[in-house]
Amino acid sequence: MRFAAILLDTGRELLYRRTIIVYFGIVTLVLLFFLLALRTDVAGGVIASLSVAGMQGSTSPHGFRLGDDPDVAGMGGLTAETFVRYVQLGVAFLLFPLAILMSVFATASLVPRMLEKGAIDLLLSKPVTRPALLLSRYAGGLLTASLNLLYLTCGLAAILGLKTGVWNGGFVLSGLLMSLFFACLFAFMVLVGVLLRSTTVSIMITAALFFVSLLVRLPHANRDWPLLITSRVARLLAQATVETLYHALPQSYDFVRSTMTLIRHDGGVAWGSVLGSVASGAVALAAAVVYFSRKDY
Amino acid sequence: MSLAKTYRAPFARAGVVALRGLDLTVPRGRTFGLLGPNGAGKTTLVKLLLAIAFPTSGRASVLGRPPGDVRAKERIGYLPENHRYPAHLTGEQLLHHFGRLSGLRGGERSRRVETLLRRVRMEEWRSVRVHKYSKGMMQRLGMAQAILNEPDLLILDEPTDGVDPIGRREIRDLLLEQRERGATIFLNSHLLSEVERLCDRVAILKEGVLLREGLVSDLTRPRSAWQIDLRPAAPGVLDAVLSSVPDLRPAAAGLELSGDVPALNRAIDALRSRGLEIVSVLPRRDSLEEVFVRVLEEGEPQ
Repeated sequence: MRFAAILLDTGRELLYRRTIIVYFGIVTLVLLFFLLALRTDVAGGVIASLSVAGMQGSTSPHGFRLGDDPDVAGMGGLTAETFVRYVQLGVAFLLFPLAILMSVFATASLVPRMLEKGAIDLLLSKPVTRPALLLSRYAGGLLTASLNLLYLTCGLAAILGLKTGVWNGGFVLSGLLMSLFFACLFAFMVLVGVLLRSTTVSIMITAALFFVSLLVRLPHANRDWPLLITSRVARLLAQATVETLYHALPQSYDFVRSTMTLIRHDGGVAWGSVLGSVASGAVALAAAVVYFSRKDY
Repeated sequence: MSLAKTYRAPFARAGVVALRGLDLTVPRGRTFGLLGPNGAGKTTLVKLLLAIAFPTSGRASVLGRPPGDVRAKERIGYLPENHRYPAHLTGEQLLHHFGRLSGLRGGERSRRVETLLRRVRMEEWRSVRVHKYSKGMMQRLGMAQAILNEPDLLILDEPTDGVDPIGRREIRDLLLEQRERGATIFLNSHLLSEVERLCDRVAILKEGVLLREGLVSDLTRPRSAWQIDLRPAAPGVLDAVLSSVPDLRPAAAGLELSGDVPALNRAIDALRSRGLEIVSVLPRRDSLEEVFVRVLEEGEPQ
């Protein structure tokens, strides 16, 4: 019951902050757009005709276009499956980063606000252990962010499935994978929040971790890059730094690549990177719990 | 066991000492007042009892269990100083939230929330978010959340801080109800008159050291002094008596005499012999405030 109480309170707080509602509104608009504006006529797995908001769609060697064009007509044998995957890739490309960004903004204040003087005293006086308090707060933030991601992916997969007959479970799985990515990022955010008790600094450091994780992926993937450094000591140090950061931080690039792979159904998910990121997130969360459990407030 | 706490501070190598070896027992069912100037270590002691902070050395026991024990905390109610409630909750939601955290289940929780909202006169404000409440309303709601679980131990840190006289009286009445229910009350307050009215035992802390501890009635017991009130007398008559009775002196209200009962009778005889009319004679008792100031000035543990 106490765990549920903190989950409920975290959800209420996130709704009160409005960021999650804005994101929910954007996703709802996207879903309504596909629900109301998209008309398809599918025959034998091939799109015979397609219109968006009354404008007829057509394909040509230059790509897809909307509106009347006397030179080009028809969908050129575009299969419903290809169409659905392209739409989902586009949505994933545009809305997944927005979802992560909004979730970071919405949840960054959860821990620093809980630790404010006057608020934490009262919480710690209640019959809840410190690890349970922090972990329920973490779970509340993660649950809210994940529900939003699943609302997007399940909603869009269902709408496109009903309109085209193509059901792409990979898109729903990609939403779950992004939730997992957020879980790793959020664990670091909780650690920074517990250590520094500042919402702004939490957002800044999380953004920095995200970009550093993308940056270190390049030298990690190109093993010969240290040869550019002539000093042996500097080379070893640089190599050690890159590899440590690559393995200690959530591996953002591999997550993004894996979501695309899931949507397109080509190749496998980079499970090594995913599990490595989960492990680094778990270590960050454990460090946050240990620090929180020993700290004077 | 002697409880000590030193906070680490960035620019003080030795840290900041908040408590220096405190030994204190609060008997069950008593109303205990913790007094001391700012920085005496009162809030630190409360935090150590609730495991909000951890002692540098020594050990505390609350309701027979170590501080932080979940089962002990189920029986504790706490109102912190400068509490900050979640701004997104209404008064009613806040009570339900803290009720859930205290382990109260559905029907029982709803019943108590309803009763307490009525009791602290917050019924009309139940659906308003707490950030719109005045200081007095926040304190009343704070009291309601502190007693929601009908605690065996109620710890209050400056419960009447910033509250107007009517609000203070309401809070005092609530505390008296809790005392009658049998709860132990641990009151940390600057308002000595409140402490004197409510508490049967007090402790006085200064710079982390326990200077005095005991029953309020013992600390403020009558000393060998008397307050004598007179009807207005003719000019010069009173001066003549004052010059003849060495321990008699003018006071804010009438006269004050230092001495035992025979000395009092001699003074009365002197006053009456000059035709002065005595209205009342009262044994002089120190107020808690006077005791507090004297103990702090002496500064030595007893």
